[in-house]
Amino acid sequence: MAYQHNHEAMGSQVHAYKADIFCRDETRVDWHSKALWLLREKRDRAAGSLPEWEQLRQLGSEIKLHTLTNLAQYLETFEQNCLANGIKVHWAKDGAEHNRIVHEILASHKVKKLVKSKSMLTEECHLNPYLEQRGIEVIDTDLGERIIQLAKMPPSHIVVPAIHMKKEEVGDLFHDKLGTKAGESDPLYLTRAARAHLREQFLSADAAMTGVNMAIADKGAVVVCTNEGNADMGANLPKLQLHSMGIDKVVPDIDSAAVLLRTLARNATGQPVTTYSAFYRGPQVDGEMHVIIVDNGRTEMMKDKILAESLKCIRCGGCLNTCPVYRRSGGYSYNYTIPGPIGIAVGATHDNTNSIAWACTLCGSCTYVCPTKVPLDKIIHHHRRLKAEAGKLPYGKNAYMPLVGKFMASTTLLNCSMGAARTALRILPGSLLKPFSGAWGKYRELPVAPNSSFEAWFKKHRSL
Amino acid sequence: MSSKHEILNALKLSALTNHPMPSIDVAPRVEDLVGQFETNLKTVAGTLHREGGLAALQAKVDELIAQGLQVISLVEGVTANRDVPPTAHELRDIDYAVIPGDVGVAENGAIWVNNKNLGHRVTPFICENLILALPIHKIVPNMHQAAKEVTLDAGEFGVFIAGPSKTADIEQALVVGAHGACSLNVYLV
Repeated sequence: MAYQHNHEAMGSQVHAYKADIFCRDETRVDWHSKALWLLREKRDRAAGSLPEWEQLRQLGSEIKLHTLTNLAQYLETFEQNCLANGIKVHWAKDGAEHNRIVHEILASHKVKKLVKSKSMLTEECHLNPYLEQRGIEVIDTDLGERIIQLAKMPPSHIVVPAIHMKKEEVGDLFHDKLGTKAGESDPLYLTRAARAHLREQFLSADAAMTGVNMAIADKGAVVVCTNEGNADMGANLPKLQLHSMGIDKVVPDIDSAAVLLRTLARNATGQPVTTYSAFYRGPQVDGEMHVIIVDNGRTEMMKDKILAESLKCIRCGGCLNTCPVYRRSGGYSYNYTIPGPIGIAVGATHDNTNSIAWACTLCGSCTYVCPTKVPLDKIIHHHRRLKAEAGKLPYGKNAYMPLVGKFMASTTLLNCSMGAARTALRILPGSLLKPFSGAWGKYRELPVAPNSSFEAWFKKHRSL
Repeated sequence: MSSKHEILNALKLSALTNHPMPSIDVAPRVEDLVGQFETNLKTVAGTLHREGGLAALQAKVDELIAQGLQVISLVEGVTANRDVPPTAHELRDIDYAVIPGDVGVAENGAIWVNNKNLGHRVTPFICENLILALPIHKIVPNMHQAAKEVTLDAGEFGVFIAGPSKTADIEQALVVGAHGACSLNVYLV
């Protein structure tokens, strides 16, 4: 698999290299880009149908910012209220501690089979392999997650994790793993087969685990949103339910959650709301409910005023769908569990290849669609500055960027060379110049050179 | 030091300065609430039955039973052919569950269901098909109003249900009926 290549050795070329692999199949790239753009269009229609859309974005942003600036207080309130509701609360400073806590709970109940509902946090902590190594069977129950789990792949998108796979590939996989008919690729047939297979898993599971979309401080409740109902089929059958949440998931009250519920699905898939938005405020009769509150680098991000704003994110995936780089380079080209603009925002610090901060054109489309106004392009730009300050610019940039700076700052140098470039473009054949344009020229014609510089044109035409 | 205190201490180093909580004051659209609700319920693949109330619902249940289907009812005044079993797992062969809805939301077609009326929490998810009975005067314009109306006492479970279970995980083709109910019918009562 392409994404399993040794990327440490390639350093800052990792994103470009992996994107190149993805781009070899041009038809697939077009298909991928179009599939995601379809989501963006649905999002636009849903947003456009609400006159108060911009007001909701502003409210979402301010609610999250308010909560983040008082996070310690809200987390403590949340914990107290959970305890009062009979919910057990655990705190984990990193992924390792999170996994250990989960395993301890499961082991003490002698759990053999765990049904899991999509959670990017457990992906971030690499929970599945940890539990599997300790003899616990983990079944991902979101259809897209189950597909990639059977294919032994990580998710390539945070909302539609198997978006990179074609239905024929899913058909082959299900034939192999679930015994569906060979050559069958009808989504309805395949979904029904998965439904039957997963029902058996829900009914035979000893425990269920879900992520958390919002944690309501003043009620001590967690909100879990799915379209398939897998989180609720899971959590409400076995007597043991676990919920993992990042410290950034807490909101003050139900009114705050209501604001975010109005934008989450609309911005993700264009639906007015997810099919199921479930509120758990305690375990079922004779059951046990655990909430694990996880830091895993989030408090570190909060020490930087700009990076801290990425914690406003509600994981709708809207920024991925609109991103021209994500759509044409695929989720596996990013060196992080979460791809796309938000993946760069929360992952660039830990990206030891120093490549993903550059997997962005700074076009700002992500910031424009974000339902909580996370300033993604500003954050990504900031990451580049941090990389430069740490002396970790991609190969070459360290050497030539200071020269580019000097060059751009000198009027004489700039004017002379631009003049030379214009002349060259006019008189020399394209085939001779094209190699100098590098990757830019791969799919483009060289520009037609204007007769004079803008400065000369301006001097001639300006009104005095 | 416990992880809890480590996390809370680390938060003291946060670079964010205080930001006030905004007041949530969004103008509701109050005209034709039932019409709005019906349109949005249709968008999320649910069906609204406006006329006939409980009698129409009972007639539907009788028809289903006559077809040999297994129906459970938690709505007062509607009689079905199956009782709430002692364990949740025994609901696995229920074809239709009839459940009371507490609050309907016009802007998105969602209905709040509370576990006080479910028998088992899993009832609205495990049934093959779901029927909700919603009092007509319980339809509110949007989620902000709904948040004020819903009851969620300590220890409880509640869920907004907007349509039948669905997925678009295979090449984005919308398929109704993933893990939860394959259809949703709402009767106004």
